[in-house]
Order: sequence, then C-alpha cells, then structure tokens
Amino acid sequence: MLMPKLTFVSINADRGHLHGYCFPMSANHPIIEMQQLMLRYPAGKVALSGVSLAMKQGAFVYLTGESGAGKSTLLRMFYGGLKPTSGQLNVQQLDMRAVSEGEVRELRQRTGIIFQDHRLLFSRTVFENVALPLRVQGWEKERLVPRVRKVLEFVGLEDRLWSYPEALSGGEQQRIAIARAMTANPPIILADEPTGNLDEDTARKVLDLLMALNQHGTTVIMATHDLHLLNSHPGRVIQLHQGSLVGDSHG
Amino acid sequence: MGEMMNGIPENMDPRLPGGFNLPPFGVHQFLALMIVCVALWSVGTVWLGLQGAQQWIGSWQGNLQLHVYIPVDKAEQMSELKQKLSTITGVDSVRHVSRNEAAIWIQGWLGDSSLNVNKFSRRLPESLELTLADERNQFLFSDIRDEAARFGATVNEDEVQLAGAHELLHSIRQLAWFVTVILALAMALIVSNTLRMILLARADEVHLMRLLGAKEWFVRMPFVLEGTLIGGGAALLGWFLLWPLIFGVSGWADGMGIELSPFTLLLPLLFGGALVGCLGAVIATAKLVSPDSVE
Repeated sequence: MLMPKLTFVSINADRGHLHGYCFPMSANHPIIEMQQLMLRYPAGKVALSGVSLAMKQGAFVYLTGESGAGKSTLLRMFYGGLKPTSGQLNVQQLDMRAVSEGEVRELRQRTGIIFQDHRLLFSRTVFENVALPLRVQGWEKERLVPRVRKVLEFVGLEDRLWSYPEALSGGEQQRIAIARAMTANPPIILADEPTGNLDEDTARKVLDLLMALNQHGTTVIMATHDLHLLNSHPGRVIQLHQGSLVGDSHG
Repeated sequence: MGEMMNGIPENMDPRLPGGFNLPPFGVHQFLALMIVCVALWSVGTVWLGLQGAQQWIGSWQGNLQLHVYIPVDKAEQMSELKQKLSTITGVDSVRHVSRNEAAIWIQGWLGDSSLNVNKFSRRLPESLELTLADERNQFLFSDIRDEAARFGATVNEDEVQLAGAHELLHSIRQLAWFVTVILALAMALIVSNTLRMILLARADEVHLMRLLGAKEWFVRMPFVLEGTLIGGGAALLGWFLLWPLIFGVSGWADGMGIELSPFTLLLPLLFGGALVGCLGAVIATAKLVSPDSVE
C-alpha cells in the first residue's frame, strides 16, 4: 500500500471548529445516525426505505450495491442535498429533517465531497480548485497558498499547483478532488464512487489517500462498485439493495 | 518560475470565484457593454437636446410676462382693469408700464438711434405687464382675454404662444422620461440576458460553491458586481461619445445662444447605468437553482 508522506498532521489541528461551531470529537459518538430512514422522490419512486444505521467518528465505511440501490441518494442526504421523507437522520448532530438553510451551509463547510467525475473547474488552476473551499470559508488570500501546497504535497501533486486540470491524468484529477475535499480539514469525507473511472492501480492509489486521511481521524464514507478493493483496503461494508439495507459487516 | 512574497508566481493571477471577485471579462460582457453604451448614449442625447431646448426657450422666457394693451381713449379704465386682472388665478402681479418707460425701451430696441420716439410713444396704447405664476393653468389666458375684452383691451398673442412653448417643453420632458424608462428596462434586460448566458456557462462553478457551503450572497455577488460594472462602464463610454456630438453642433448651438454642458449628465448617466446593470443582474440571479441547492 502506498502511504503518502504524512507531513500534514497540522491540518487536523483545528478540526471541528468552524465559525464558532464546535463539533465534539468523541470516537464513540456517531457522526451519522439514522432510524427508519425513507426517501421518496416527488415522482413517487422510493429511493430509500427503512434504513437504520449509525456510523462512528473515524470510521471507514463502504456503501455498496447495484446501480440505483440508493448509495448516492444516501450520500446526498448526508450533506443536505436531499431531505428525508420520513424517519430520523442526524449528521454531525444536526437533525436533517429540521435543519435550516444556514445549518446546511455550515454542515457542507464541515464536509468534504468527492465525486466520480471529480467536478473540477477546468477553467481554473489546480490552486484555484483546491483553494475554493477555503475561499468559501473566508480565508485570507495570503494563507491559501501554504495551505494548498500542504494538501497537494499530501496527494503527491505539489508540483502541479499552477497547472490546469485538463493537463492532468484521470488519476491525478481525482487526487486533486481529494485535495479539494480535505483542504478545509472536514471531520467527514463523502466519496461517491471516486474510483469508478480509474484503472485498478490508480484506484488503489486513490484509496490509499482516503485510508491515510482516515488514519488521521477523518470519517470516510465511500460509495463504490469496486468490491475487489475491499480486500486490500478493509473497512465497514454496508450493502444496499433497491433502497433497503441488506448487509452490514459491523451489523 | 519567479515567485512573489505570498508564493504566487509573477505570471499567475489567481482569481477565485465568489464574493467580491469579478469573473473574467469575455466577449459576452463586451457585447452587452456596447449595446448598453449605445442605449445610454441615446438617453444622454435626448437629455442634452432637452437641455438645449430649455436654454433656448428659457433665454426669452426666463421671467414669463404677458402684456395687455388698452387704447388711449379708454385709459381712464386702466386702474379698474389692473385690479380685475390681478385677481385672476395664476397672475402673480400686474404693473402699469408708463409711456416714458415704453419710450426708453423702444429707444433701446432701436439701438439708441437718433430717432425721437416721444412723438411715437404718445400714440401707443397704455400697457399693463402681467407676471404669471403658473402659465400651465388651462383657463389663465382665456380669463385674461375675457377680462381685457370687457374693457376693450387686447392681449399680446405672440406672448401667449411663447407661454405655450413652455408647455410644449414640459410635454417633451415627460416624453424624455418615458424614453429613458423604456430604454432603462431594455438595458436591464440586455444585461440580465448576458448574465444568464454567463451563469449557464458557470453553472458548474455555482453548483460547486453551493456544495462547499457558500452563502447565497457569496455566489451571486460576482454577477451583481459584473452587471453593475457593465452598466457603469457603458455609461462612462456613452458619456464620452456625447462629446463628438457636442462638437458637431457647437456652431449651430452658439448661434442660438445655447451652451451645452455634458458634465451635468455625467453623474446621472453613471448612477443610472450602474443601477440598470445592477437591476439586470438581480433579475438574472433571481432564480439561480442548482441540483443541490439548499431547499
């Protein structure tokens, strides 16, 4: 397993503190908790039904299941992109059914999100892409470069600071997406099939990075189809099928 | 690669989206700027024309006065006529113009020629000079005419028509406001349409900022600033383009005693342009929905 240089320990120094918010960092406290969670789309399709789970702070969790099983839907609910139709969902101690717009924004600032298509801005440099979460949080311009350098060093792309994403390979682009997700030092990272478009070797390297982040206390929840990666990178496996929970390795 | 103190290379100019950072200036913005500039130039031209017309009319109408003439054989009724005229609504004051004053005026009008006007002025009717408070009073002139006719007096109809020109100018001013409002709405829609195109091109950026927890003002501010700057920039350019027009008509304007001053239009055009640009941006960003918008 490729272990990235662990020169970023200081990125965890302020974890949990954001705009006056203090997130309790108890390892035993669930960072995500749900009871009989259900989501029905306005068109009537039930995307999730009766899902009850708890995920502890610092866990590495795989969400698996066929396409349409509800993995991405569940991840979207974790950052307030969708509101539950019924049941209970608490994310970072916020009741997601009663959450306000301002609380969702603060939650998103405490959440790193990685997508299969990485969603990098191709008209912006790597620096601008990675610095965006910090900019949103009001960081001073002078503090951005050292911080972005540090996270790019972690993902092994410190020499690409001023490159444009189109000049990078698929694997490098996904590593930039990881850097962007971790740059604001969130306590949780949600990854929606981050290895879906990558070859096996590159996918393993991307997963190494997520594992390294997890070893520093970040909760990682990753939706994936790549079940073979689970052997080399163990974690809790939650299996969904047609919107229902059908398996949990910690169950 | 040479680097500056804050670690940013000299040839790089990082422009992070959101907040008070302006987006890059592209061809869409340039086209919008030119269209709004032409519209604002048209508005400026209309108001400049109105300024000239006001000066032209105002030069012989600064203090609007009307003269009523009573024949010499009825001069004994003058005091009574004067008293009646002064009670008409819209008449500020009535003054008797003495024959001596009339003679002096005629002498001056003749360029102080050696002609003796005393003989001539003796044949003149008695004059009453009416200072009008509100020439727009629709019954004012007919009331004056009626009252004068009762005493066998006449009204200077040329001066009545002069007062009508003032009314015409008032109508033109209203028309200028109407044109300004219509063009302002058109400009706001042009800016709005341009920004909608830019928003479509930057939908990913907006979506991403929202996913990262950006506040709505942070997401929308660059577009509002851009709209305001397009409007303000177009106004400034439009104002500069008024100058060739002024130079072009300067000979004609000088002949009519008109001195056009575009400086009085600078601030109204700038603020107006910025306001319509801002309005266009607000319209464009009013419904800015992303897939994961906070609901």
